[in-house]
Amino acid sequence: MINAKLQTLRVSGLVVALIVFSLSTKAELPEDIEAFTENHCYDCHDDANPKGDFDLLSLPRDLSDQKVLTKWIGVFDRIEKGEMPPPEKAEKLSDEERSRLLTSLSEQLVTADRHLIATIGRAPLRRLTRSEFQDNLRDLLDMPNLDIRDKLPEDRVSHGFTKVAALLDMSRVHLDAYLEASEAALLKAVAPSVKPASPKKWRFTGTDLFSSLETFGGREAMFFLKNGKMNRISGSQLSKEMTPEQKRDPKLELAIFRSATWPYYGYPRGFKAPEDGAYRVRFSGRAVRQVEGFRIVPAHGPLSMSFRSRQPSGPDVSGDVQETGGWMDLLPENSDFETRVRLKTGETFEYSLHGLPVPFIRTDGGFFYDYPPLPPEGHKGGVIRWLEVEGPIVSKIWPPPSHKNLFGDLPISEKLPGSKLRVSILSESPEEDATRLFRQFADRVTHKPLEDEDYEPFLRLIQAKLDSDTPFGDAVLTGYQAFLCSGHFLYLPETEALAQRLSHLLWNSRPDEQMQKLAKNGSLVKRKVLIEETNRLIADPKFERFVNGFTNEWLNLRDLRRDIPDNRLYPEYRKDDYLVASMEEETRAFFRHLIRDNKPAKHIVDADYSFLNDRLARHYQLPRIPGSEIRKVHLPDWSPYGGILTQASILKHTANGTTTSPVLRGVWAMEKILGNPPPPPPKSIPAIEPDIRGATTIRDLLAKHTEAKSCAGCHARFDPIGFALENFDVMGAWRDFYRGLEKGEKITGYDPAGHPFTYYIGQEVDASGKLLEGDSFSDIRELKKQLASRPRILARNFLYQLTLYGTGTKVRFSERSEVEKILNSCENKDYPIGDLVRELIGSELFRR
Amino acid sequence: MQNPRRSSVQNRRQFLRGIGVSLALPTLAKASEVSPPPNRMLLISNNLGVLPGPFFPEGSGPDYTPSPLLNQLSEFRDKFTVFSGLSHPNVAGGHSTENCFLTGAKDPTGSGFRNSISLDQFAVKHLGQQTRFPTLNLGVNIDKANRSLSWTRDGVLIPAEDKPSALFRRMFVQGNPAEVERRLHQLQDRGSILDVLRDDMHNIQRRSGGEDKDRLDQYFTSIRELEVQLHAAGEWEQKPKPLTEEEPPEDILDRAKFFPKFDLMLRMAQLAFESDSTRIVTLMVDGFATPVFEISEEEKSLNGYHNLSHHGQAKEKIAQLERIDHQQMKLLRSLFARLDNTSLEESGSLLASTMVLFGSNLGDANVHNCTNLPILLAGGEFQHGQHIQFDRAQNAPLANLFVSMIQKMGIETDKFSSSTGPLGSFS
Repeated sequence: MINAKLQTLRVSGLVVALIVFSLSTKAELPEDIEAFTENHCYDCHDDANPKGDFDLLSLPRDLSDQKVLTKWIGVFDRIEKGEMPPPEKAEKLSDEERSRLLTSLSEQLVTADRHLIATIGRAPLRRLTRSEFQDNLRDLLDMPNLDIRDKLPEDRVSHGFTKVAALLDMSRVHLDAYLEASEAALLKAVAPSVKPASPKKWRFTGTDLFSSLETFGGREAMFFLKNGKMNRISGSQLSKEMTPEQKRDPKLELAIFRSATWPYYGYPRGFKAPEDGAYRVRFSGRAVRQVEGFRIVPAHGPLSMSFRSRQPSGPDVSGDVQETGGWMDLLPENSDFETRVRLKTGETFEYSLHGLPVPFIRTDGGFFYDYPPLPPEGHKGGVIRWLEVEGPIVSKIWPPPSHKNLFGDLPISEKLPGSKLRVSILSESPEEDATRLFRQFADRVTHKPLEDEDYEPFLRLIQAKLDSDTPFGDAVLTGYQAFLCSGHFLYLPETEALAQRLSHLLWNSRPDEQMQKLAKNGSLVKRKVLIEETNRLIADPKFERFVNGFTNEWLNLRDLRRDIPDNRLYPEYRKDDYLVASMEEETRAFFRHLIRDNKPAKHIVDADYSFLNDRLARHYQLPRIPGSEIRKVHLPDWSPYGGILTQASILKHTANGTTTSPVLRGVWAMEKILGNPPPPPPKSIPAIEPDIRGATTIRDLLAKHTEAKSCAGCHARFDPIGFALENFDVMGAWRDFYRGLEKGEKITGYDPAGHPFTYYIGQEVDASGKLLEGDSFSDIRELKKQLASRPRILARNFLYQLTLYGTGTKVRFSERSEVEKILNSCENKDYPIGDLVRELIGSELFRR
Repeated sequence: MQNPRRSSVQNRRQFLRGIGVSLALPTLAKASEVSPPPNRMLLISNNLGVLPGPFFPEGSGPDYTPSPLLNQLSEFRDKFTVFSGLSHPNVAGGHSTENCFLTGAKDPTGSGFRNSISLDQFAVKHLGQQTRFPTLNLGVNIDKANRSLSWTRDGVLIPAEDKPSALFRRMFVQGNPAEVERRLHQLQDRGSILDVLRDDMHNIQRRSGGEDKDRLDQYFTSIRELEVQLHAAGEWEQKPKPLTEEEPPEDILDRAKFFPKFDLMLRMAQLAFESDSTRIVTLMVDGFATPVFEISEEEKSLNGYHNLSHHGQAKEKIAQLERIDHQQMKLLRSLFARLDNTSLEESGSLLASTMVLFGSNLGDANVHNCTNLPILLAGGEFQHGQHIQFDRAQNAPLANLFVSMIQKMGIETDKFSSSTGPLGSFS
């Protein structure tokens, strides 16, 4: 029905486009609209005592003012959705009268909106976001691992998105940060030495494999093995008795049975990265079980692990701890592994075995680290036989490509005193070289030759530096630094806007050479070429930037680690970093699949597959699958999972770690999945506080909370979806009953950290409900079927979200018809997500 | 431009180019004369805290019964408030929380953790640079690379100064010409880049349509404001430093001299306030990095401070920790006394204008507990003399107290970090 209505709008939009320039800024709307508001609105929304603080009578009529226009669009939307006039007051209002009003009002709004776009543009000029700044520099300088993001202030967020043009403004703080960050990036791009340093090598065996002889958790947590048996080594043995050869005895192996969460410092003894960079790590190891009496036997299946870069401090880490080198699966049979870890100067890396216990302090009777009781199949663990590090790995080409981007083939020699550069750049004719290099650099940044007057201020700066005897390299670099802080680099250029927009959408960065060429010769605007380019970008590894960026912002994955599950109510999740990381991967893999494999929009809410590994399969109570690799898994009919809405990542970040709220989850789904965000809650009413003792369910509390009619109206829109999601706990696992801390059936046990726990099984979850415009459902499975039967809504929302991300501004009123056009073209194929992306990029809306 | 007086100083660039020339800057001096008496903050955290038993008093409100430790401060009873039931929500993870004491950033042991802005930096951000040092960040026995109370809003560690002599030099000793010149050179470089950026943006503006005007104006404003900031830095670089009658301090290198070092840093903080070198000082007392140390002339600690703090209910360790905590309170008492006896402004003592916060990221170091933090606030314009009690099971956010404090600094906000507003019952 909505579809049909908007169809007519589109037609009327075309008609009014012809009279766009005759629009006046007269302070009145056509009579029919004024008459309608008089008859149906002013009873409540006049200046006397306006309901909801909305005084329509006094609302200006000058639609050429963006703010006024936005308000009137709001009026249109409420009337169109049938929310206004409220049903009980709309008895006199015929459908015909309503639709006449909507047609008339939309004509006015479309005309005004087009006029605004024509005069002030679709969205304001915007600067790069923090992550775009970094990715642009990475691509410009050929430094794929450049890490300078942290030098820049964080961008503001609107509806989860940072690429919103209206928010991307400039300040002193930003400019200062750009000066700092661009200088740092440029200095890193310069060759660090005249000749490439030959990578250093380290080999660790025996007691050198670990930074200490024991770790928190005692013997159960870690020990050395010799000939497959526990080999106890005391501190005094190590320091006084053992020879260096004995300490490094290759027959000694390291066995670990805990995860790398605090308190822990399990890194190879004495290793520190001498420089920023990538290091190749090789090691040999296997997955084992520790059974009664510290005996070691082979594991039943693989055990995944990774490394975490960190400062080589004690158990209390300060600064960043980053997973690096990817996930690897130790197997029951010993095998060799190779990976690359990225380290900063002075950092080391620790063994991080996934999903194992984390010993925790006990103080009931002394002070000690406890370890969970031995499970029947023993403690899982990993054994490391030897480990080698080599690095930093440097470019085979010297000076490295990043350097050549700045100084071409000019020879280099030892660093000059007083220079910021680590080598000196030799030039026989500094002035000419500087001018040539700078022009080349600027042209590369902007993709085109500039006007002479554009180079001039920068060349003057370089010249002044050369005149004051600044070393050549420093002088030229200052010019580059200035250029990277100029509008040429910081603002999204409006020339070749389409190429820029496309590439910033899918690669978060500047167009590559091929796309620039197509933009320059004018073929990119051809639909066929544009779609081919889109497909090329989607297939490229740099597409990951889109997958990460868009899921972070659209689906709020960025907030995934905001809350830690309450360890009294949910002891089983204590310090389960592996589970959280796996959730994140699931959503990213699923989303990537929707686009690359062109899956229908209904899969956003309902699919019979997902992307899982061993931990997630367990979390979702599915049959075991071995290993950490995230792979496509078919879901059985009974499973409530499948589709983004019920992914653990979403269910986790829409809860707060302690309780779930149907309100928050429902509102999230309305805004992010169905594209129908409810208005903000009234300020005077406090949010409900769930009862974690277990006495009252959230449903009962909510029923009381929304007794008032004014509340019930809105809550009826979003609560039902939230109710259906109540079967998922704060981490997204299925539950039939709530847990509480005081009432119900007592459950005790030991959590993965060895802590005894007690909680209570509380009331049963009631996940039934009824959508405001739909049938009733008994649980999430039924709700998902209902939502999946509305693919156009899901597809439309996806396009709206993508438009905000990709163009920096929401779909404008006058563009709504274009979105409907895209939807129409994808309708008979069930709105495949990949096609929606391509069609949006090919649309007038995106090219504007 | 936050301070119009600042911008009225003559030609900025001429000034920056006048390297090594000391200019008199009467406008600035005047500025500080006419201002109302400033508010100051001294924010202290000992990352091993105090024993909770002997610290927290009985009873609440003004009629509370002081605890053994608070008895040390009895003569200032009306000038401080003790709090219980405060902590940072979701800041757990043992000692790693020490960097979050003034930030409240969540889950410091999580993978990919990034800290957030600390209270002192937040205050500076709002107040602007009023003094030579916007803040001073100090430490006792501190592991400078890894620990700090002060963090930028991007979560970057601001290293602490742990050498009183260096601090003294920065505050009172004029740099040698070469040092001043190098620093001014760097500022000048940035300044000349800004000149180029302005010229360049004029070129861009000439060719662009009117619709980008707002954004381009913003860029020009940013240039202008950053110039002012660089200018202020250059200005302070050349401005004669204040005189002091104090002798330059000698650094105490022996980490076992924990209390003399602690005491000296407190005196340096006081000196910084007295000379108006800054109005905000943070001080991290790094017990964690303190080895076996002297509790008094007769007594050495049984273990390093950290080991000792995990007393495991061992009686002799608890007794020793209690003596250590008494010693800490004595240092505070003498600090309060000195501040109380110093008047910089006509309106009252230095204590009356200085909020002294003493606390810890650990509620109970023995068990690495990060709730129910020991928090004590003296000085400033508060209604003191109370024990303000919050729920020990459901703590109130410590950041609420921080909000109350920065409101006193003249910052109009009711939000900092995890705060839910100012601390209701305290004003």
